[in-house]
Amino acid sequence: MKPFPTWLLDRTKLADSHTLATYKKAGGYQALEKVLKQPLAPADVIQELKVSELRGRGGAGFPTGMKWSFMPDPAKDPRPRYLAINADESEPGTCKDRVLMERDPHGLIEGALIACYAIRAQAAYIYVRGEYRLSYQRCQAALDEARAAGLLGKNILGTDFSCEVHMHKGAGAYICGEETGLMESLEGKRGHPRPKPPFPAMFGLWGQPTTVNNVETIFNVPFIVARGGAWHAGIGTKGSKGNFLCGISGHVNKPGVYELPFGVTARAIVDEVAGGVWKGRQCKAWFPGGSSCSLVRGEDLDVVLDHDSLKTKGSSLGTAAMVIIDDHTSIARVMEIIARFYDHESCGQCSQCREGTQWLAQIFHRIATGHGQPDDLATLESLAQGMAPGKTICALSDAAAIPTLSAVRLFRDELAACIREQRDPIPYPRVEYAGAH
Amino acid sequence: MVKITVNGRQVEADPKQPLIAACHGSGVEVPNYCYHPGLTPVGSCRICQVEVQQGTAPGRVMVACRTYPAEGMVVNTESAKAHDTRRECLEFLLKNHPLDCPICDKAGECDLQDYTYDEGQAAGRTHEPRRELEKRHSLGDVIVLDQERCILCSRCVRFFEEVPKKAQLTIADLGSRSVVATFGDRPLTGNYQGNIADLCPVGALTLKKFRFQARVWNLVKQASTCPECSRGCSIQVEVLRGGEVKRFRPRENRAVNGWWMCDTGRFAFAHVNAPNRLAHALVRGDAGLVPVPIEEGQAALRALLAERRGALFVLSPFCTVEEGRALQALAQRHGATAVFVSPGPNGLKDDLLHTGDPAPNRRGLSELGLAAATSAELATRMGAAPLVVLAGERVAELVGRERLAALPTGVALAVLDCEVPTARACVVALGVPTWVERSGTYVNVDGQRGPLSAVKPAPAGVRALLRHVADLEQAPLGARS
Repeated sequence: MKPFPTWLLDRTKLADSHTLATYKKAGGYQALEKVLKQPLAPADVIQELKVSELRGRGGAGFPTGMKWSFMPDPAKDPRPRYLAINADESEPGTCKDRVLMERDPHGLIEGALIACYAIRAQAAYIYVRGEYRLSYQRCQAALDEARAAGLLGKNILGTDFSCEVHMHKGAGAYICGEETGLMESLEGKRGHPRPKPPFPAMFGLWGQPTTVNNVETIFNVPFIVARGGAWHAGIGTKGSKGNFLCGISGHVNKPGVYELPFGVTARAIVDEVAGGVWKGRQCKAWFPGGSSCSLVRGEDLDVVLDHDSLKTKGSSLGTAAMVIIDDHTSIARVMEIIARFYDHESCGQCSQCREGTQWLAQIFHRIATGHGQPDDLATLESLAQGMAPGKTICALSDAAAIPTLSAVRLFRDELAACIREQRDPIPYPRVEYAGAH
Repeated sequence: MVKITVNGRQVEADPKQPLIAACHGSGVEVPNYCYHPGLTPVGSCRICQVEVQQGTAPGRVMVACRTYPAEGMVVNTESAKAHDTRRECLEFLLKNHPLDCPICDKAGECDLQDYTYDEGQAAGRTHEPRRELEKRHSLGDVIVLDQERCILCSRCVRFFEEVPKKAQLTIADLGSRSVVATFGDRPLTGNYQGNIADLCPVGALTLKKFRFQARVWNLVKQASTCPECSRGCSIQVEVLRGGEVKRFRPRENRAVNGWWMCDTGRFAFAHVNAPNRLAHALVRGDAGLVPVPIEEGQAALRALLAERRGALFVLSPFCTVEEGRALQALAQRHGATAVFVSPGPNGLKDDLLHTGDPAPNRRGLSELGLAAATSAELATRMGAAPLVVLAGERVAELVGRERLAALPTGVALAVLDCEVPTARACVVALGVPTWVERSGTYVNVDGQRGPLSAVKPAPAGVRALLRHVADLEQAPLGARS
């Protein structure tokens, strides 16, 4: 792999990277100063983001500048407005935001302040996954430091700009990472996603205009503001600009979170970055971006990782959380685990999702334990088609249906053999878990 | 208002109301479980999917309860795509439903059963046993929850949040483990609990008092008006073969009660199902009050009215406008005064429906010019009258049985009531029908008129007040010839 410029994880490698002192020494809060003191108009910040072609890193890949521009004009709509930062990272495989929050929380806070300035929000809420205790503590400590240094609260850096950033701990529900579920949860209610429309930009937190962004997205903002949108737009492939954090896990020798430019092949990532598939085995299948996207065959590792290329393999980039599955692993068992996850995490509002996720989990469990029925594959396919696309309030139902359809499509023979022989051809344990690295 | 096309027909639709309301309003059926016109739509059951086409874009299947009509929208509720989507959704809804219709009180009026029947989806594809949960979970004195039947539409949850505005129910746990529960498993409270049994689209929430009482297809149903307070909620009276009133249920009337009624009215069976009815005419003879043919009783009353001018007519506040008018005229012709008993507030007033005034037709009777008199006022006036005519159901109870017992000798008492009179002063008694046995009009506290309609026949030996009055005006058959 050719050398490439990095910025996302650079500071995380410094000693005491989570402190204000280290952050400032590395040039931190200069972008905020540039915005406030130069000063840049909020519209200019949004324009810079549009130029940068930054796309959201939470999974959907929506252009960030465009999302910000959906916020209503404050002259016509004087309601209070908010930024919600989605740090409820709970998709199986996804672990990138954690690194940023634990090791570089000031980067997130600076990004949040600039984003609030651009969308004219009075406050930002960082919704942190409940299990991320260290992330929460580090972000909270960073907020305290920033406040003491006049970087947060009233009249930031002596300017007219005032902004609050609040931390909020989730209580362990995957569904609260869905943007409207997150807002309900922030309001103190059950994390039931809201039907859209109305969209958050018009009716978000407490019914006010709200923008919801992923941690990594916001983290990119100070770099883009400091170096210019054109700089960012000059890196990467068509439609996918900048660097991204790739959390690679599963059966590789060196799982972890790596900063990579768009346009690298998956094979290069597995072999050169993650040290290859473990135990000298072959890759049988892989998820490019968390468990909610389609499985891709091991043979298709030569695909380039960016927002558009993966579509050629019927999958998507998602959160760029690659999960590598080796050839000693039973697909029935992998799908059993994944289906069980969605069954456990469905909020239960929509009929298709509530009953469908349970049904998928039951069928995969039967197949994996040697009790498959001849009609199971047909049922799986028709159930998944009944659950997606767009048949429910949020995309969790789709997230369960998509990997199911891909597993049945790509590994029909293996699943059919499990059913026919009433046993899983892959010997126990069928899935080997990579230990902590 | 916007113009939309529903199944090829142009209709006017309110863009502020969900599309499903426009469909229902134009007589097009769209199945719905979580949607209820009286509650905020949440779009969670997903059964109301219809095909919607806007502009030149191809038709999309959308939930009709969270889509709002827009000018030129073309809606097709019967397209193959819409049917398929709904059929898929229905299969999911039935996945864990126990299908215990043969022992379910809701069978016959169950939205899930009806729609499953329509779709003809007879075969299941599950190999797993259904969810096993509590089948008899008490939610207080009124409601029992069958967790297995519940399809988690959350109507009941939203009802308490939005109508009495005091949240008492929630969905507990997540996903396929979800159940409806009260907070901390406390029993439900308040006077509006019964509504959630009506709201429940399946047989998950049932009334303890209606459980296993009747198969609903055996009930004779008739629109009527609740007489428990001066709100006069529009209701439906349901009577089992054989004449026992089994159920009062609210009937949609947005001007009065919306879709709701209170539990006081819902469970007011004691009077209409009372065992000791005055089902004969009674005339006092040497052996006390003895049953006589109705005509003889009427003749006795006619004679009394002729003899004792200056009588006092005391009407029941349960009298309809028509009965009030007839009795008022009768009193006038006999030189008598007519008033109606005014019961005091019963302490059940709330800010939702119950007015706390147990006189259902106070306004209707007052508008006729009848004066209201409290039980205490009546005690004095009755003592000074030569003849007291009590007319209308429950009149003796409301005037006070003790007060009637204490009437001085010399006062003759004639009673037209549903209960057997006990007062010594009573010389003649005629049976009248209860409010489920007669028709007429009530005027509620706000001036809204509500109908009473006879759901079941009165016992033989009982005649309607209006009939009694008409009969009294005529000479008896024997005298005429």
